[in-house]
Amino acid sequence: MKSIHSYNKIITILVFFIPLFYASLSSGKENIEKDFKELTSKFRCMTCQNQTIYDSDAEFSIDLKNVIRQKLIDGETQQEIIEFIEKRYGEYILFEPKFDKKNIFLWSFPFIILLLSTVILIIKIKKNSASK
Amino acid sequence: MKKIILYSPIILFILITSFLFIFLLQGKDPHKPPSALIDQNLPYFVITNLFDNNKQFTNNDIKDTQVLINFFASWCIPCKTEHAMLNYLKNKNPQLIIIGIDHKDKINDAIKFLEINGNPYNYVGVDEDGKIGLEFGVFGLPETFLTNNKGKIIYKNIGPITKEIIKNEINPLLQ
Repeated sequence: MKSIHSYNKIITILVFFIPLFYASLSSGKENIEKDFKELTSKFRCMTCQNQTIYDSDAEFSIDLKNVIRQKLIDGETQQEIIEFIEKRYGEYILFEPKFDKKNIFLWSFPFIILLLSTVILIIKIKKNSASK
Repeated sequence: MKKIILYSPIILFILITSFLFIFLLQGKDPHKPPSALIDQNLPYFVITNLFDNNKQFTNNDIKDTQVLINFFASWCIPCKTEHAMLNYLKNKNPQLIIIGIDHKDKINDAIKFLEINGNPYNYVGVDEDGKIGLEFGVFGLPETFLTNNKGKIIYKNIGPITKEIIKNEINPLLQ
């Protein structure tokens, strides 16, 4: 009787924990896929014309995708992987330039132009209305 | 004065565009991006000898020597053109240590390639899975790195080396 009782306990535990175990496994896989897509979309295919490695089937992109996937499976974070690749291939491999001191002109230029144009437009409108 | 203000966005646009074209794009080939490894120490590597898989080679073997590291493969067409230039460079500078790294290639094909085209290398290592290439940021063959005698990378060339490159870029850096 006692053995049947403990047997039932084991069955109950299995019924509850096996789906949980599989759910955690599949959510882990989904996370890896999500990170993989995000990361591979951040890197430039160095042998292609204006393509990310996610979009490219070039040998270089396939190799780098394999490295990234393996690193994600090994538990490395997105930031660690970006640093690893950038250290070897330079900032050029990043599809989007970094927001730092070196690129401040690049990032701020559209806003400077917008600001200047707005100032000129306001001056022009004011002058026009004053002359009327 | 009024006209200057009116045309100032266009003038500014022309000035900035000219600046970008003249200063930023001048002499820059998008197929030859700058290397992240210039002025950095050689990445750590352990490489197996192409002719004897019991022999290995590491950074420590070349830490106090100037070396030219050339990534090549038998399947790489530009490498064939470049190979004659590497033979020429070695003949002109016999003291220069040249290391060949056979990248993602079949060993027998690489040995045959060197038999046919000559072997300018002091040591030829095998990078079968491309992991050493990854450490060096290699993305296309051939690629060549030159170190100083302290183990720092001082020069990188993407694509085949030519006589002009040897004369104008490599020779001035040889110690």
